[in-house]
Amino acid sequence: MKRITAVLLSLAVVLTLAACGKKDDNSDMNAPKAGTVYFLNFKPEVADIYKEIAAEYKKEKGVDVKVVTAASNTYETTLKSEIAKADAPTIFQINGPVGYKAWAGYCEDLSDTKLYSYLTDKNLAVRSGNGVYGIPYVVEGYGIIYNDAIMRKYFALKDKAVSISKATDIKDFETLKAVVEDMTKHKKELGIDGVFASTSMGSGEQWRWTNHLASVPVYYEMKDESDDSTIVSTLGKKEIGFEYSKNFRNIFDLYLNNSVTAKGLLSGKSVDNAMAEFALGKAAMVQNGNWAWEQISGVSGNTVKAEDIKYLPIYTGAEGEEKQGLCIGTENYLAINKNASAEDKKASVEFLEWLFSSEKGKDYVVNKLKFISPFNTFKDDEMPADPLAKEILSWMKKDVNNLEWTFNSFPGQQFKDDFGNALLEYVQGSKDWSHVESAFRTSWKNER
Amino acid sequence: MALKKYFPVFVLPTLAAFTIAFAVPFILGLFLSFTEFTTVIDAQWVGIANYIRALSNDDFINALWFTVRFTVVSVVTVNVIAFALATLLTKGLKGTNIFRTAFFMPNLIGGIVLGYIWQLIINGVLRFFDVTITYDPKYGFWGLVILMNWQLIGYMMIIYIAGLQNIPTDLQDASKVDGASRLQTLRNVTIPLVMPSITICLFLTITNSFKLFDQNLALTAGAPSKQTAMLALDIYNTFYGRIGWEGVGQAKAVIFFAIVAVISFIQLALTRRREVEQ
Amino acid sequence: MSAKEKTMLIRTLLYIILTVLAVAFLSPVFIVFLNSFKGKLFISESPFSLPDKDTFAGLENYFSGLEKTGFFSAFGWSVFITVFSVIAIVLFTSMTAWYIVRVKNRFTKALYYIFVFSMIVPFQMVMFTMTKTAGELGLDTPWGIVVIYLGFGAGLAVFMFCGFLKSVPLEIEEAAMIDGCNPVQTFFMVVFPVLKPTAITVAILNAMWIWNDYLLPYLLIGSEYKTIPVAVQYLRGGYGSVDMGALMAMLVLSVIPIIVFYLFCQKYIIKGIVAGAVKG
Repeated sequence: MKRITAVLLSLAVVLTLAACGKKDDNSDMNAPKAGTVYFLNFKPEVADIYKEIAAEYKKEKGVDVKVVTAASNTYETTLKSEIAKADAPTIFQINGPVGYKAWAGYCEDLSDTKLYSYLTDKNLAVRSGNGVYGIPYVVEGYGIIYNDAIMRKYFALKDKAVSISKATDIKDFETLKAVVEDMTKHKKELGIDGVFASTSMGSGEQWRWTNHLASVPVYYEMKDESDDSTIVSTLGKKEIGFEYSKNFRNIFDLYLNNSVTAKGLLSGKSVDNAMAEFALGKAAMVQNGNWAWEQISGVSGNTVKAEDIKYLPIYTGAEGEEKQGLCIGTENYLAINKNASAEDKKASVEFLEWLFSSEKGKDYVVNKLKFISPFNTFKDDEMPADPLAKEILSWMKKDVNNLEWTFNSFPGQQFKDDFGNALLEYVQGSKDWSHVESAFRTSWKNER
Repeated sequence: MALKKYFPVFVLPTLAAFTIAFAVPFILGLFLSFTEFTTVIDAQWVGIANYIRALSNDDFINALWFTVRFTVVSVVTVNVIAFALATLLTKGLKGTNIFRTAFFMPNLIGGIVLGYIWQLIINGVLRFFDVTITYDPKYGFWGLVILMNWQLIGYMMIIYIAGLQNIPTDLQDASKVDGASRLQTLRNVTIPLVMPSITICLFLTITNSFKLFDQNLALTAGAPSKQTAMLALDIYNTFYGRIGWEGVGQAKAVIFFAIVAVISFIQLALTRRREVEQ
Repeated sequence: MSAKEKTMLIRTLLYIILTVLAVAFLSPVFIVFLNSFKGKLFISESPFSLPDKDTFAGLENYFSGLEKTGFFSAFGWSVFITVFSVIAIVLFTSMTAWYIVRVKNRFTKALYYIFVFSMIVPFQMVMFTMTKTAGELGLDTPWGIVVIYLGFGAGLAVFMFCGFLKSVPLEIEEAAMIDGCNPVQTFFMVVFPVLKPTAITVAILNAMWIWNDYLLPYLLIGSEYKTIPVAVQYLRGGYGSVDMGALMAMLVLSVIPIIVFYLFCQKYIIKGIVAGAVKG
């Protein structure tokens, strides 16, 4: 009797334990038939919209879509820990050729998918040999966003120090510098705290400088060497000269010296702070991309009018910059996890095809996600209507030299962190500029 | 005895969970520190290469040094203040319970939340000087020390109070009658008698300071330039932040474990010796 | 000055010192509380001023924080994981400890030392491999993490129960056995009631650890089920950029349950800490 009780009890304990470890039964039952989708999202600013889309898709097609969003600057970390799990992401994102190199073992060849065939310019995809491993899903642009209302106020001043009379006349760094410095002198009359919004230097908040701004000088350096796509030629660079370091410093110093915020406090500032300063009219300019519209429009007490929001290229004093446009490209490439089950892979591709070609999916992309889409399934009028996206679209049509996103081929996150740390020390005055230059070169060499 | 046959009921659940959560991962972790890998399946044996890379990694050495300095300073400040407070609160004053409650409260708040609370306060103070906590690694260092004191003083104080209350009052009275000064009583009577509490508190503060992670992550996240990253954070960053460095991260973790183990064994040996003496 | 006056003076002085210190200890939480009512842009500008008519934002931060973090669900998961893990730890490890103490052989002795050994191993050592093992076994769920906490908390708990059990006399257990109780009955009817003080200590120490734990739940289940610490950390960067207002509000909300719990169970917590320290 005792022995039977013992056996029964131990059985019960083991069963409870086993039950603990078991996953949600439904998903296990469905898995072989329908396949499920797990999308690891890169863009925190649209995390909630993806959740809506997933719910909508579930309603329409009955397929489970799990969306997880990595916190800002932790995408690689999150991807690494998630992909090691049994229940790994089926759709993830790579940031271009460098990302592909790191994750090649997980990227499925997508050359036979409809999604790839939708791509207007097939050259945009990340390829290797005959395979297609990453498909861009959004075109974005960045530059210096300015509030034209404040600019008009400045140009109406009687004692302004420049001869030009409107912001669109700014065609090079010299003019920009003259205007900005004169605006700083008149900041009381203009009702601003500084010309530029805070140069956010908090940890995880430095990408506007380490990625976007640094892209411009490296672009020029690469163009001096060859006429190829700078994204391709940068990828092959084992070492970098950082020849246009002076130009980076030109514009970076301009940001710092005419800022809303004292240098010592910048390490506590986030991108969100900077966008809010711009939205509240405390600053006249801020460097950012069209994805930041929500961060401007969403601020309560917002004083900037949509029709006054315009773009200016990032001038750095490089030769021939009169023809320079905005930086237009993408760092968002979708990849499908090669190691997922065949059903899950199929379901994942179908989900993406639905999102970028069905009427409902496209409606989300255009009006909620506000993506300028690189797919031919979108008609000309199916583009987001917010002022920043409209500006990007109009710059794309102008007769200017819009720059590629050269930073796509920068070494990994460690390089960007090293560079950002050096910038922070420069901002705070504990190190001089030569330290930034050497950190840029050394870390590039080490991390390549 | 009948109990022996009941192994599956009494031991198996704990042992199974322990094997999954600790034993297997521990052995696997030791093994992986000698390999290069991104997932476990693709591990390739590289011998001690990871250890060499770990020990020649400036970030790691810097983190080790920072952690040691932090531990020494925290251990001294936490214990001195906690002991002083415990002495004050065992003087038989009325209302000691309220004070005890107040001092202990911060200990229950989790590291992440604590880190953000103090980030606000410290940045608020430094604002008067137009800088923030990440301006200089010194600020981060002292910020962490203050945070650690705030969190642990109450905890250690409670243990010291228990120790002090166990001292028979007649012993202290006797030494007073003998004409011993306050300081002499403290040194010759009180401290030897609360020695067990002191050892425990030292051990708890050392290990807690040494293994600090959450507070470090929330307060400075290592800024500026990883100069305020402690060992645990550095290991985490090496492991998850850099592709191709997983093996090195695991090797750093093994070194970290070895250091903690040595500290623990020294502690254990000291306790043993003391017990023998008594 | 008479001796009496002197003691009075010293007492007053002591009270003043203690009061100042107590205020210093409690003020950080209070400052966060104040800031949680300010507009998010004013918080880092002037953290020590009271909210005024320009800076007062009402409950806006609370609403945005609740929405962004899914605080209620995080609270739910924290409660769920803490409660079930603590129950599992107390129940299973006390049984294991009894077995180890009463069945004395080479195997149980080895087991005891392995459990004790696990106490000194820092989490980073098994951070990746544990996540991987648990993931492979499908334990990356709130139920699964209970198993992991049981395994990870076993060391300290077994150690403490063993320490206590060694001093418990055999006689009553033997009497129960002679009366026809099987070991399971004996354990629950005779042994476990005796263990109650240690069980409370073990429960409190583990509850404090699990409730506040960040890295383990973040790595194992953080992408789908966020506990409070994970949700708070996610606020920093989870939505593109840190929102100070929401952060302050969430800090307040995460501290409140702890304070309430503390005020109600203070006696047990402090006793538990002392007992745990003396044995640990």
